[in-house]
Amino acid sequence: MSQSRPARAEQPHVPDPDLDAVRAAQADRAAFAVLYRRYLDRVYGYAFYQLGDHHDAEDATERIFLAALRALGGFRDQGSTFRAWLFRIAHNTIANAHRSRARRRTVTLPEGWDRSAPDADPARLVGRGEELRELLALIAELPDDRRHVVLLRFVDELTSREIGIVLDRSEGAVRVLLHRALRELAARFAGDRLA
Amino acid sequence: MTLSPPQGNPVPILHTRAEQLDRAVDALLAGRPAPPPVDPGLRTLVDVAAALRGALLPVPAGSRLEARLAARLASRPALGDPIHAFGELARRELRSRNRLLVAGAVSSAAVGVGVTAYAVWHRSALRRS
Repeated sequence: MSQSRPARAEQPHVPDPDLDAVRAAQADRAAFAVLYRRYLDRVYGYAFYQLGDHHDAEDATERIFLAALRALGGFRDQGSTFRAWLFRIAHNTIANAHRSRARRRTVTLPEGWDRSAPDADPARLVGRGEELRELLALIAELPDDRRHVVLLRFVDELTSREIGIVLDRSEGAVRVLLHRALRELAARFAGDRLA
Repeated sequence: MTLSPPQGNPVPILHTRAEQLDRAVDALLAGRPAPPPVDPGLRTLVDVAAALRGALLPVPAGSRLEARLAARLASRPALGDPIHAFGELARRELRSRNRLLVAGAVSSAAVGVGVTAYAVWHRSALRRS
C-alpha cells in the first residue's frame, strides 16, 4: 500500500467522529464491536456492488473486518478518518479478490439477485432489481477509477477527501473523476433513451 | 464561485465545475436541496447524481453475516496461529458448492497419485529384495 501523496498531507485536519470508538477498541479489542456494527452494512454494500455476488461479498467483508481488527493498533489520527482508513482496507481487499478471480467489472447483478440474499430485509430490495441492473450496467462500463469514486461517493457516502485517501489521489483529482463519471453516465443515459 | 477563474488563477475551469458539482453532491447526500450550480451545464449532472443517490441504496448485510462475523471477531486468536489460518482458509474455500467439488476432485487426485507412487515404490522395493 503506497503512502500519502504530498497534496493530501497539506489538507487541513478534519475531526474524526469515530475517534473515541477507535481509541476504545485500541485499548480493548471487544470495543471493536461498536465500529463493526456501525460500518458492517456500508462495507458489505461496497463489497457487493464491486463484486456482484452475495457469497463473495460476505467473504470479502469478513476479510476486511478481520484485517481492520488486526491493523487497528497502527491507526493514527493523522489526516485520515477511521472510515477512510477502513475503506482503504476494503478497496485493497476487493482489488485482491478481483485479481484472484481474474475478472473485472463485475458489478452487474446476477439473475435472481433479489432472492440471493435470503436474510436481507426484503422490503428494502423489492422492485429494485431492474432499476439497479440497468444502472449498474452503465456504472460497470466506467473506467475503474471513476467506478470506484461513484460507488464510494453514493453508496458509502464518503467525502471526496476521504475517497482521495482510499484511492491515494488528491481531493481535487477525486472531484474531477466524479465530474467525468457523471458526465459519462449522463451521456450514456441519453444514449439509452434515444436507442 | 464563478465559472471563469479570476485573472492569473491557474485553476482550470473543469476543476471549478468539479467543485460546484461536488458541493451539489454533498447537499444531496446530506438530504438538503442541491444548490443551483452557477454553470447551467451542470444541471444534467446534478440530475444524474440525484438518480444515483436514489438508486444506489445501501445493501443490508443480513443478520446471519452480522452474527457470524461478530463471533469471529470476538474469538479471533493471536496472530500467526497456523492451525487457525489453515482452518480459516479451508472454511472460506469450502463454503460454496463449486469450491467444494473442486476441493473434492483435487483431494481425490492427490490420494490417487499418492497410492500409485506408494505401489510403484513398494514393487521396486520387493524386486530389489
